[in-house]
Amino acid sequence: MSPVQALCWLLASLLLSAVILAPNPAAAHAALIKAEPADGTVIATSPSAFSLTFSEPVSPLVLTLLQPDGSSLALTSSRLDSQTVVIANPQPLASGTHVLSWRVVSEDGHPVAGSLLFSVGAPSAAPQPAEPVDWLVRSLLWSAKVALYIGLFLGIGGAFAIAWLAKGGREGQRFVVAALLAGLLAAPASLGLQGLDALGARLHGIVLPAVWETGFATSFGWTVLVALAALAAALLGLVLPRLGRPLTLLALAGAGAALAASGHASAADPQWLTRPMVFLHGVAIAFWAGALVPLGLALWRKTSMAGIFLRRFSRSVLPVFAILVGAGVVLAVIQVEKPSALIDTAYGRLLVAKLALLAVLFALAAFNRWRLTAPAGSGDAPARTRLARSISVEILLAVLIFGVAAGWRFTPPPRALAIAAAQPAIAHFHTPQAMAELTITPGHTGEVAASILMFDGDFGPLDAKEVTLVLSKPDSGIEPLKRPATKPGDGTWRVDNLVIPIAGSWNARIDILVSDFEMTKVEGPIDIRP
Amino acid sequence: MSNLVIRLVSFGALTLFGCAAASAHITLETQEAAVGSTYKAVLRVPHGCEGAATNVVRIKIPEGFISVKPMPKAGWKIETVKGKYAQSYEYYGEQVSEGVQEVAWSGGELPDEFYDEFVLRGFLTAGLPVGETLSFPVVQECGDKAERWIEIPKASADADSLEFPAPGIKLLPKK
Repeated sequence: MSPVQALCWLLASLLLSAVILAPNPAAAHAALIKAEPADGTVIATSPSAFSLTFSEPVSPLVLTLLQPDGSSLALTSSRLDSQTVVIANPQPLASGTHVLSWRVVSEDGHPVAGSLLFSVGAPSAAPQPAEPVDWLVRSLLWSAKVALYIGLFLGIGGAFAIAWLAKGGREGQRFVVAALLAGLLAAPASLGLQGLDALGARLHGIVLPAVWETGFATSFGWTVLVALAALAAALLGLVLPRLGRPLTLLALAGAGAALAASGHASAADPQWLTRPMVFLHGVAIAFWAGALVPLGLALWRKTSMAGIFLRRFSRSVLPVFAILVGAGVVLAVIQVEKPSALIDTAYGRLLVAKLALLAVLFALAAFNRWRLTAPAGSGDAPARTRLARSISVEILLAVLIFGVAAGWRFTPPPRALAIAAAQPAIAHFHTPQAMAELTITPGHTGEVAASILMFDGDFGPLDAKEVTLVLSKPDSGIEPLKRPATKPGDGTWRVDNLVIPIAGSWNARIDILVSDFEMTKVEGPIDIRP
Repeated sequence: MSNLVIRLVSFGALTLFGCAAASAHITLETQEAAVGSTYKAVLRVPHGCEGAATNVVRIKIPEGFISVKPMPKAGWKIETVKGKYAQSYEYYGEQVSEGVQEVAWSGGELPDEFYDEFVLRGFLTAGLPVGETLSFPVVQECGDKAERWIEIPKASADADSLEFPAPGIKLLPKK
């Protein structure tokens, strides 16, 4: 190994370890655990601050307060205290119902949004904030992602193949340069689009610096930086043939590192496993897919070096294939968690589509490797033509797979969905005599357990003789479902083995028998997810 | 037929036959009485708890209903819980500040298919709010089951919507 090569290996491994070791404790999309004031509560006076506690540290993007008169107030002053976002309230609030709408970005680069309702003094009717999907921004973001994949895989991989495998042949160089340039354009564009998507802003917002800052502040910012460096290195490697090998090797490592820096798969636990797996998966894709265009063109034009190119490629492609599949399987198992999620979730269906395309691609690749490679390598001209044709189909399939993979940006993986689904549904009910917090875990239909925490009107302990939970859903014709609660001894009351048949807003009533002849009832809605 | 007519006709029928609309509930026989007078409360227990026989009937005496004396009942043991009233009341020239606050008939056996009545009398003090309902919360115990007729209607109109309304009387002006 030459000193230059050794240096490049060192740089590549440093880059990789920096990405792996970057502080990133994200497990999934962040979920709101606790809010102050809590959702659905009535508070006596205007609060001086709001606080939102998430399951992991987040960066706040947009915080707005929808006031009872329908006007919205941007909350600009906030600070992060561990996992809690503390938001200063700039002005005393009028009485009535307010909606605190929040949008934060979790460590995996995914924006998470929600809103909570609270009332000052007494409740009033509050406008419901909607969350529209901007399909123009989404499709542009998807296109930018596909272009970035083409740059990273076909561009960098192609440059690597020309430098390392083609033995001086320059077939496909023009295509590779075009792919690299597409990647160089797509990387910053996707950053701005990521910012738009995170903020929920429309396309014309692309001119705002805040959008770019937001895009950059997500973990996707790292992906773009590393990708730009890697794409530039690959381009330089093509222009400077003497440094071609070390530069394209560095670029190849950079492509893997760029992918490992963000995205669902990299954000999954355990990070020590998922990040290197994404890195290896990315490097293997770039190696394989990138070589296809230069190799196919060399075979098509029947250049003198095509035979050596083909032999080198087919020698190394089997271990690369093993890495590609191995890393892919590990990531799929982590993300999908259980086989039924392949059909039940959008993420799973995209994975199935990708696997179907891959199956065709692998079958074609195997046919090329074991039927056509030997005759083509020994100089059989018709075999070379057939192989070149077959490779062009492979390239097409690879681009289709990039398109499917770019769609994952918009679908949370079952792993994250499972964590979100396990979140409880919580409701607070308040009367002058009593306050109750009802927690239904998990907060979706099916078998659940309810836990009730009660206070008297002055937030003192409420010692009840008996507690009964009554759930009904009059709009669906579901009559009251009455369950006595038991006292496990930790200060709460519990109802186990409860089955909630359908999703939606349920009416929950808690009958609290304070003394033999005195009963207090608190009542209100609780939202059950499907 | 308009709603009003239906209501008038049914009201007339109810008054005529002297039966309350919520006949399956525990109710008082006389459903209105003047303040500043003696009131005989006849508690009507039309059934047990979900088919089980009634063994205990307990009634909570509301504030302002004083000098309560339950009527003995064959086969049932009577117990009273005495305590201080929230204020003292004038009763035939004397100040009364404590008395019966709860009456319990226990040890009996009233099968679900039979009907019975439990009686007490007391004095409705003159300061009670005329026009409002005075509730007598009742707990009906049947072995290990219990039905609590303790829901206090917020307005007289919504008594029908309650599942276990406490029996009550409407307070009339002093005669």
